[in-house]
Amino acid sequence: MKTECLEWLEQLPSPDGVLASEQLIGRESLRNLGLPKKYSEAWRLTNLKRIEKILKLPLAQSNQYENSIDKNQWPEIPKDGVRIILNNETNYKTNLPNGIRFLSNDDIKETINLSHQSIDETNDWGVSVNKACNNKLLALKVDGLEEQSLEILIPSQKETLNPSRILLVLGKKAKLKLLQVIIGEGKSSNNNLIQIHLDEGSELNHGLICFGKNDSSLFTQACIKQNIDSKYELNAIQHGWSISRFEPRVFQQNGKAKTKLNGLQISSEKQQLATHSLVNFNGPEGELEQLQKSIAADQSHCIFNGAVKVPKEAQKTNASQLSRNLLISKAARIDTKPELEIVADDVKCAHGATISQLQEEELFYLRSRGIDSNQAATLLLKGYCQEIINNLPVAAERWQILNQIIENLNK
Amino acid sequence: MTGQNTVDKLVSKPYKYGFVTDIETEKIDKGINEDVIKLISRKKDEPEFLLEFRLRAYKQWLKMKEPNWADLKYPKINYQDIIYYAAPKKSEKKASLDDVDPKLLETFDKLGIPLSEQKRLSNVAVDAVFDSVSIATTYKEKLAEHGVVFCSISEAVVDYPELIKRYLGSVVPISDNYFAALNSAVFSDGSFVYIPKGINCPMELSSYFRINSGDTGQFERTLIIAEERSSVSYLEGCTAPMFDTNTLHAAVVELIALDDASIKYSTVQNWYAGNEEGVGGIYNFVTKRGHCRGKRSKISWSQVETGSAITWKYPSCILQGEKSVGEFYSVALTNNLQKADTGTKMIHIGAQTRSTIVSKGISAGKSSNSYRGLVQIGPQATGARNYSQCDSMLIGDQASANTYPYIRSQQPQSNVEHEASTCRISEDQLFYLQSRGINFEEAISMMVSGFCQDVFNQLPMEFAAEADKLLALKLEGSVG
Repeated sequence: MKTECLEWLEQLPSPDGVLASEQLIGRESLRNLGLPKKYSEAWRLTNLKRIEKILKLPLAQSNQYENSIDKNQWPEIPKDGVRIILNNETNYKTNLPNGIRFLSNDDIKETINLSHQSIDETNDWGVSVNKACNNKLLALKVDGLEEQSLEILIPSQKETLNPSRILLVLGKKAKLKLLQVIIGEGKSSNNNLIQIHLDEGSELNHGLICFGKNDSSLFTQACIKQNIDSKYELNAIQHGWSISRFEPRVFQQNGKAKTKLNGLQISSEKQQLATHSLVNFNGPEGELEQLQKSIAADQSHCIFNGAVKVPKEAQKTNASQLSRNLLISKAARIDTKPELEIVADDVKCAHGATISQLQEEELFYLRSRGIDSNQAATLLLKGYCQEIINNLPVAAERWQILNQIIENLNK
Repeated sequence: MTGQNTVDKLVSKPYKYGFVTDIETEKIDKGINEDVIKLISRKKDEPEFLLEFRLRAYKQWLKMKEPNWADLKYPKINYQDIIYYAAPKKSEKKASLDDVDPKLLETFDKLGIPLSEQKRLSNVAVDAVFDSVSIATTYKEKLAEHGVVFCSISEAVVDYPELIKRYLGSVVPISDNYFAALNSAVFSDGSFVYIPKGINCPMELSSYFRINSGDTGQFERTLIIAEERSSVSYLEGCTAPMFDTNTLHAAVVELIALDDASIKYSTVQNWYAGNEEGVGGIYNFVTKRGHCRGKRSKISWSQVETGSAITWKYPSCILQGEKSVGEFYSVALTNNLQKADTGTKMIHIGAQTRSTIVSKGISAGKSSNSYRGLVQIGPQATGARNYSQCDSMLIGDQASANTYPYIRSQQPQSNVEHEASTCRISEDQLFYLQSRGINFEEAISMMVSGFCQDVFNQLPMEFAAEADKLLALKLEGSVG
């Protein structure tokens, strides 16, 4: 296993650009880690064969971009909206609205160093792969009191590995609505790392739509560092990947921040979708509200692992986590595992998990109103997804997510 | 606050059962190898098949690695520095209790386990195990009238070899885990229970385990078989003297329930937990598993875990028979530097199987208390249901409470519900009770007792009262 990883590292281009030092760090830790192993708790349930395939893909080349991306399916950009397309260097130079600016190289280095000290775990496989091979960075800073909105689109080139990285800094009291869309194409792999720093009193509404197709795979990590009085809301949707793994990690630096994590994964065919979240409270009076929903159809497999850490410093933390799962096929499988580690004694921490199928009574109710059973099931599934989808930034509506999900489930 | 003084005073309260019985014991040399296993087997006059079983397990054990996934950090155990067999001299089983060494009887009397039958008022049959051997089993004759077999496993090997051959290792195979393999190789004694068809066991059965030697590991093995339409309630208690060294305890318990049978297994575990600095104490690595083989069978585990420096224990139910039921009720209390990683596994295989998990963890001092449980619904378990609830109570800001519930479902026509909460003894509640004239200590013990009520309700009567007192004693003053 280790040799395959080493072979892959050898064929990478030599370190270059503003991320050169990061590439060295990533390569070093991959040398030690090798490929993920079945016996490690974090990868126990993952289909490792599909991961091995990823490293066999060549890196995406930006000069191939125009030929290999299908833009027709993208909805139009609204008149006053801004869309940045990653993996296409010409598009980085979009005109940004007032209040948002690109970070200078010096700023970038400083911010990256700051991240190292807190949440970027060097022994995390996904992060290390990204660091090792990625040289594309989008670094933005949002300032001012006016609410901004932004769409970042991350397409994948067919049959390649597409790494990308976003650095986002919200200054004091800044507000942003961010819609991040990751699209997978046949046999491609997408690996995105987004690092977010929220300064005092800032607010971020982060929508993440990850839609894969055919044999595409996804590794995406979101590392969020929150200062006091900041608010972070994440609504993440994963659908259609052969294998996907989303790892949001929230670090409440000094506590007293609000975090809301909502996730929805809909798997069908033989897909395996996973969310591994970690929320670390490092000061008092932090708040967390987490809701993770999964629907597993056909022979698919949904995984959720939600860790919450409340150390001694984090008195008066209020955290709740709920994992709700729908199993709608006999051959599908769901694994869910909340993980609570609590040391502070004056805290409220609750978690819950349920796994079931669609409720018989609800179906009956709809059918007694003259709706046939297929339609009734669709209606219930729609309602189930809507709870998360409704919270996405308004810009997400143009992507017609719900229709696509239901269409795929009804296939 | 006055609490702090009482903390120190009460935490340093000596462990009541920490005395050593000064009795001549017969020990074999330290260490483990094939010869030691053969020696143990020879000492117990075991038939050939059992020696083979032991040797197979030993070979398996050598190939295995000590598990490290649990939330427990402890120094490496030197398995060659343990005595695998120790027995009080002159310990041959006597026809009547009068022949048993009076010092031993005295020991059990001190522990509140009267073995002499005339002294007993309550209707409980006891099997007392001292280090590696069973000392006495009471009420044997009365039980025999009903066809119930209750004896030490060494006797059972001789008297009922066909039952042992058929069931030993059938629920916990020798290769199940590191500690089960070790136990299978060197197990010394334990209880054997057989309830024939259609019999409701007329009295509570109980085993009492006592470790006396400081350098001896205890490896007991319990096997309970409940035939069709039978039922039994079984209690288990454990204590050990105070030593500065750590003693290893690796037990295996196997339960088998056939059609319509029901087994209730209750444990009050109070092994020596080490002192405030965490010196000494028992390392408790136990594999307990019940197999609901028959239709509508039921296995219920209830446990109160208060002792041991390290606890690694997951009493489980394999729900194979249609409509079988598994239950797990647990109170785990850790104080000082104790570490516990405990929980249950409910493996639903058959259709319409049901399980309930209620786990209450209380962490005080600098201890760490983890709940780790698995609920697995297999593809054939249509209509299976599980309800789990795990609550933690934290006392002081040095202790940690961790919850790791693993849930896996492969059957859409099933329902799994899990909920958990964390709370503390709040100032408001304390104030309320104190303003009603209830003193500090009592108020805390009242609240803890209320927190654990769901579980205590499941314990047999005598045990429930004892468990309540035990918790109060262990906790008194640990709120500052």
